[in-house]
Amino acid sequence: MMDLTAREWVTHSITHPFEGFEDMRWKKAGSIKIASVIVILWFIASIFYNRLYGFQFYTQPDKMFNVIPYIVQTIILFLTWVVGNWSICTLLDGEGTVRNIYIYSAYALIPYVASIYIDVFLSHFLIRDEMVFIQAVRIIGLLWTVVLVFSAIKSVHQYSVLKTILAIVLTIAAMLIMLFLLVLLLSLFQQVYVFIYSIYTELAYRLKV
Amino acid sequence: MKHIIRRLLPLALSAALTVGMTGTLAVSAEEHYDVYNYDRWEEAVPSQAGYLAARSVSGEDLGIGDFSEPSDIFRDAYDQFFIVDTKNDRIVVTNSELTEVVMVMEDFTMPDGSVTHLKSPEGIYVSPETDLVYIADYNNSRVLVCDYDCNVTMELTKPSSELFSQELTFLPQKVLADKAGNVYIVLGNITTGAAMFNNEGEFVGYYGANTVEATSQVIANYFWKLISTEEMRSRQARTVPSGITNFDLDDEGFIYTCTQSTSQKKDTVKKLNPAGTNLFSSLETSWGDIQSVYDANTNKNYQSMICDIEISDDGNINCLDLTSGRVFQYDEEGELLFIFGSSSDQLGGFTEVAALESYGNEILVVDTRKNTVTIFEETDFGRIVHDATVKYNGGYYEEALDPWFEVLQYDGNYRRAFLGISAAYLVQGNYEGSMKYAKLADSPYRYNRAFEGWRQEWLTEHTSLVVIVLLVIAAAAVAWSIYRKKHPKDRSKYDVTHAGPVREEE
Repeated sequence: MMDLTAREWVTHSITHPFEGFEDMRWKKAGSIKIASVIVILWFIASIFYNRLYGFQFYTQPDKMFNVIPYIVQTIILFLTWVVGNWSICTLLDGEGTVRNIYIYSAYALIPYVASIYIDVFLSHFLIRDEMVFIQAVRIIGLLWTVVLVFSAIKSVHQYSVLKTILAIVLTIAAMLIMLFLLVLLLSLFQQVYVFIYSIYTELAYRLKV
Repeated sequence: MKHIIRRLLPLALSAALTVGMTGTLAVSAEEHYDVYNYDRWEEAVPSQAGYLAARSVSGEDLGIGDFSEPSDIFRDAYDQFFIVDTKNDRIVVTNSELTEVVMVMEDFTMPDGSVTHLKSPEGIYVSPETDLVYIADYNNSRVLVCDYDCNVTMELTKPSSELFSQELTFLPQKVLADKAGNVYIVLGNITTGAAMFNNEGEFVGYYGANTVEATSQVIANYFWKLISTEEMRSRQARTVPSGITNFDLDDEGFIYTCTQSTSQKKDTVKKLNPAGTNLFSSLETSWGDIQSVYDANTNKNYQSMICDIEISDDGNINCLDLTSGRVFQYDEEGELLFIFGSSSDQLGGFTEVAALESYGNEILVVDTRKNTVTIFEETDFGRIVHDATVKYNGGYYEEALDPWFEVLQYDGNYRRAFLGISAAYLVQGNYEGSMKYAKLADSPYRYNRAFEGWRQEWLTEHTSLVVIVLLVIAAAAVAWSIYRKKHPKDRSKYDVTHAGPVREEE
């Protein structure tokens, strides 16, 4: 029973929103490799979405391109989610390990990531009047992912429905705190850098004179 | 401005090189300031000059003694210019070339035969229908209506109506009369719009008032008013809209107003229909300079304040910016065409601009400190752009194609040209060309329309191909599912409970 390949587990988990992740947990299946590929595909999708979109829907000015925001909006965001969820759920008697949270959350992202690729593809064939198709794909992908994320968190930690909702809300709060601390850290480092740099310029000036 | 100059230099050099090699294009480089225009991202980019300062005329040149703080200029139906010479208390009427004085209006005969004089007049309007001259006589608190021989037919003074607050003095600055003979007067101390009088001289009401923008400060004031006492409220500053500064009438009878204000950002230029509704409210145009601009000549940062507006005969909207001394010319849809002028002492530069007027391919700007009228003439580039714009706005897209291409030879950055070419190609059915130029103009809307046509054309041409491809895909899918049914996977080696290959993968 349930003897599936790693790839088949992916299809199984995302096509069975209520049982899929439970089955996967029971069989101790799921691959970090595939999960990482999904996250990287998400990152590439976000770039495609901004760069390769059909021109008739285009809004982004392309005077310059910076890859950092895309990394932050996808990979960093995902890692923050995993770490945030793990730290919250460790306190809330969750049974999931970091590895499992990582894998299950990534699998849950598949419909959303796929919807981005489909939209980018469709945007080259549709006109503005037919934008409703693009939006439909987008909304379906997003809702599907929301359901899957809920199911994934529920089964990875073996929570009840209410506790899952609580855990997700707390995770989002934890993510905000982490981002805040990161920004704080960066600005502190910035100030240290400025301080050292001003000492350097001062010394350089003295030495010259 | 600094970054513009930095970007301009290599461009100017390369432009000079190409011109030197081909020697066909007449590039003007006579301006003492950087000629620029705004691109789609609202950034200033170097551009070609549409107008050049040709000459400036002072009162001395006309042989009537220097002007003293002239504040308005108007062209009548016979192409004579009426210059309001404020501190000399006179109106100077010149011929269309501004070379000779036709007459000087100083003494006015009242209906009862007495003679009256002006005192710091600030505005003038000459009705093309009735040939009546309307003069905003500021310090006499009246508007004089007279004919060309200075016989006063009507005098508009402070209305005794309840609608007009009697504590206020009547300070007319600018005046206008529509085809029906209604007189509109911009008053110096009124923020509720232009005072409107009917053709019998009765006060009717106000017209074209600005609204208060809901800025954060206004909202905060409103909140404090709710909780403060009567005494506190009386000490608080009241929130009033900025009054309109100037206006002009176009051929179709629409009134364009401008507002010179540092606080008001939206609706500084309005196009009003007879009901007083702003037809420009949906435009995204930011009138004047978009960002505050650094001027190297005066070492200051500026924010535009539009102090005069003028609609030329071909429908272009000319706005005069008091802070920078620049004229911004827009077409009738509010698309920026040219920027010219500066604040400096040279020809084409101004100390304090007051009014502008257009005549054929000329733009005249009155400087109230230099006491001169500067005449800008259209360059070759300006002529071609105007030619193309007039055709484009008239709906003759295909006829505008050639001038637009010529425009691109002068300035390859001119976005209006790309839009025009795209529209022309779309009309011609050249969808691919239209798509190409829509992309260059960075206009998704236009591209969308061209793409729709192109897709339609492509689908009708390649119907069979599309059908074949779809059939092949369907056949492949069916074949694959049949193959899978005949050769099912061997499940046993993937049984993860017995340390299958899934565990090995990690």
